[in-house]
Amino acid sequence: SNMVLSSMEVEAAPEAKPLPPKPKFEPLKPHEMSDGQFQFRKVSVPQHRYNPLKKAWMDIYTPIYEQMKIDIRMNLKARKVELKTRPDTPDISNLQKCADFVHAFMMGFDVVDAIALLRLDELYVESFEIKDVKTLRGDHLSRAIGRLSGKGGKTKFAIENATKTKIVIADTKIHILGSFANIKIARDSLCSLIMGSPAGKVYSKLRAVTARLAERF
Amino acid sequence: MADSKDAGEEALRRLIATFQPSFLAPNPALSETSRAASRHLFSALRPFCPKSPLDQLLIDGFDAEQIWQQIDLQSQPLLSSLRRQVKHFAKNPEEISKLKVVPLGKKVEKEQREDWVEESDGFDEELEDDEEGEGKGGEEGMDIEDEDEEQGRESDNEEESEGEDEEEKGEDGEAGDGGIEDKFLKIDELAKYLEKEEENFEKAEEDTRGKKGADDEENTEDDDDDDEEEEEEEEESDEVSVLLGMLSLDLAAKMQQGTWKMQGMDLFYGVFLTLEHCGWDEQFILLLRYEDFFGDKGKYSKKMKAQLHQESEGSDEEDDDMKFKKQNKGTASTHQKQLEKIHSKIEEMEKANLEPKTWTMQGEVTAAKRPKNSALEVDLDFEHNVRPAPVITEEVTASIEDMIKKRITEGNFNDVQKAPKLPSKVPREVKELDDNKSKKGLAEIYEQEYVEKEDPTSAPLSFRDEQKQQASVLFKKLGLKLDALAHFSFAPKPVIEDMSVQINVPALAMEEIAPVAVSDAAMLAPEEVFEGKGDIKEETELTKEERKRRRANKKRRFKAAAVKRMGKKVQEGALPNQMNG
Repeated sequence: SNMVLSSMEVEAAPEAKPLPPKPKFEPLKPHEMSDGQFQFRKVSVPQHRYNPLKKAWMDIYTPIYEQMKIDIRMNLKARKVELKTRPDTPDISNLQKCADFVHAFMMGFDVVDAIALLRLDELYVESFEIKDVKTLRGDHLSRAIGRLSGKGGKTKFAIENATKTKIVIADTKIHILGSFANIKIARDSLCSLIMGSPAGKVYSKLRAVTARLAERF
Repeated sequence: MADSKDAGEEALRRLIATFQPSFLAPNPALSETSRAASRHLFSALRPFCPKSPLDQLLIDGFDAEQIWQQIDLQSQPLLSSLRRQVKHFAKNPEEISKLKVVPLGKKVEKEQREDWVEESDGFDEELEDDEEGEGKGGEEGMDIEDEDEEQGRESDNEEESEGEDEEEKGEDGEAGDGGIEDKFLKIDELAKYLEKEEENFEKAEEDTRGKKGADDEENTEDDDDDDEEEEEEEEESDEVSVLLGMLSLDLAAKMQQGTWKMQGMDLFYGVFLTLEHCGWDEQFILLLRYEDFFGDKGKYSKKMKAQLHQESEGSDEEDDDMKFKKQNKGTASTHQKQLEKIHSKIEEMEKANLEPKTWTMQGEVTAAKRPKNSALEVDLDFEHNVRPAPVITEEVTASIEDMIKKRITEGNFNDVQKAPKLPSKVPREVKELDDNKSKKGLAEIYEQEYVEKEDPTSAPLSFRDEQKQQASVLFKKLGLKLDALAHFSFAPKPVIEDMSVQINVPALAMEEIAPVAVSDAAMLAPEEVFEGKGDIKEETELTKEERKRRRANKKRRFKAAAVKRMGKKVQEGALPNQMNG
């Protein structure tokens, strides 16, 4: 119904309006980044960590809720720890850190050790199994586990102290918590122990390594 | 003069009267009397010795030896003259009766004869027989213990008695003969024997004297010695025979009178000493037996005479030998003889040199080269480099134990003391592996690490001791404040070089106003920083030639690089060409 323009008419351009001012946007809050939706993490609790969790709950809850500003709750029926972001969560990565922290706890690390994950960025957890290193069966496996720990755990502690890591030996699984280089050193020591080298040899190697590490400053 | 004469006679009388054994002990009074007596006798004999240089025997302050020498001086020529006279008289007995009688009191003569008997050294038995006849047997002078005064006296008496004997012979010749003749002693035999000996003696003396005159150069001393020996021997033989005769006579007298003043051993000793004095061998003396003295007179006299003859013959032979030797030496001089000896020796040695040496001189010798078992005979000398094992005796063990005990008490053990090794480098802090569960959490550990990194002063202490740790913390605080005063430009402690990795401290750290305890001692030295070799020279320092050389090198390098680039470009250029084409 409108007049069909038979001829091509150039419409006169509207008059140049001044450009609108540059919009100043506040940085997106993490909450807004996810389009205002809360993010969840769920960490399952193994049975053997149930009681320790109950004991150490407040130690876990307090730093997560207070400092990380992440909601945390324990779903008893599902036996999971649930983490949820809040609108005032300062950083997106907080949630992940908290999840890692809780996960580390579930692996078997102590709260004070796992807290380091919250505080330091460059800490990682590495897990591997004994069978990854060497196929051992029956008594050999048991002996290997024994070698790893040492008498009263002294070998494990020696490695921990020397390499500034934390080690958890859970049956055939081994978890190492620490910085990347340190994890490597600890892993090498543990692997040599699994492979069968005596503790003394491992110690001497550790000594040499740590001395080198200490000189880096 | 008369007084002195009287005094001398008095002394003589007193001497006679003294107890014989008292002469054995030194007695000054006795020596005085004997000296006086000797002087009296000496002066009495003086008229008979025309050649004697001494008018009177000097006794004041003179030694016994000196007195004896004086007496000897007088008696020696006198003796020889007397001998000659006796020989003469022996040949011409009728002249004895022609002798003059010396005006001397008979009493004195008798006394003198007695004296003479007391001595054992006498010559004529006639006197003794006279005394025997008179029944003398008082004293026996068997002691020939050497008292020089006595000897002097003896010789004086001898001479005197000799003189008197001759006179007496003149006076009572046959009476004396009747008295002397004994069981085993024949005067005639004795006289003959004496004669013979004297002849021999005289001959020898003349010969030697003659020889002396002839060959003065050769062996005068030897001759003298020989002469003396001969004289001595002859004298001795003379003495022996006479002595024995005397002994026997005396003993016989004793036996007759039944008075044995000397008994048993005394007699034996007396005889022994007498004979020894005359030079007899001990063995020979001991072989003499009683029978020899008082047994078959024939046996004794013959035996003794035979012995004596042998002795004299021996001496004769010796004389002969010596004479012979002297004659031989006369034919070849000693020098020639020596030369001969040397020549013979040389010949011997040359001969030995030509012959093959004995095996001991041959150096290395195997068993085959030497005769069998010859090494056993030779005294081989080995060098034993091994000390012989010590013989362990009780003393040795005791000494060792004593040493051990002493050392233990002293605490002196020869412990080896280690030489202190100088610390070449600082002992690095060995980080002990702690195998206990760390009390810190991991977070704390990393936190600490971070802090250390940032602030080196807050390094953890490696001390175990808590207190020490606290103390060092306090000191560190203080030290920090003090260092701040000096703006941290202090001279660091002289650290011993250690093989630690040196990191170059950034210079900026030094310039900061904020006190950071960073010293430039840890910085690398310029030569450690420097990479390059040789002596770096600046442009201005270069000589013309060096500058030219540098330029040439640069050009060469540039050309080489350019060639390389061209090569590359060509390669690249080839491809697009190919692609285009």
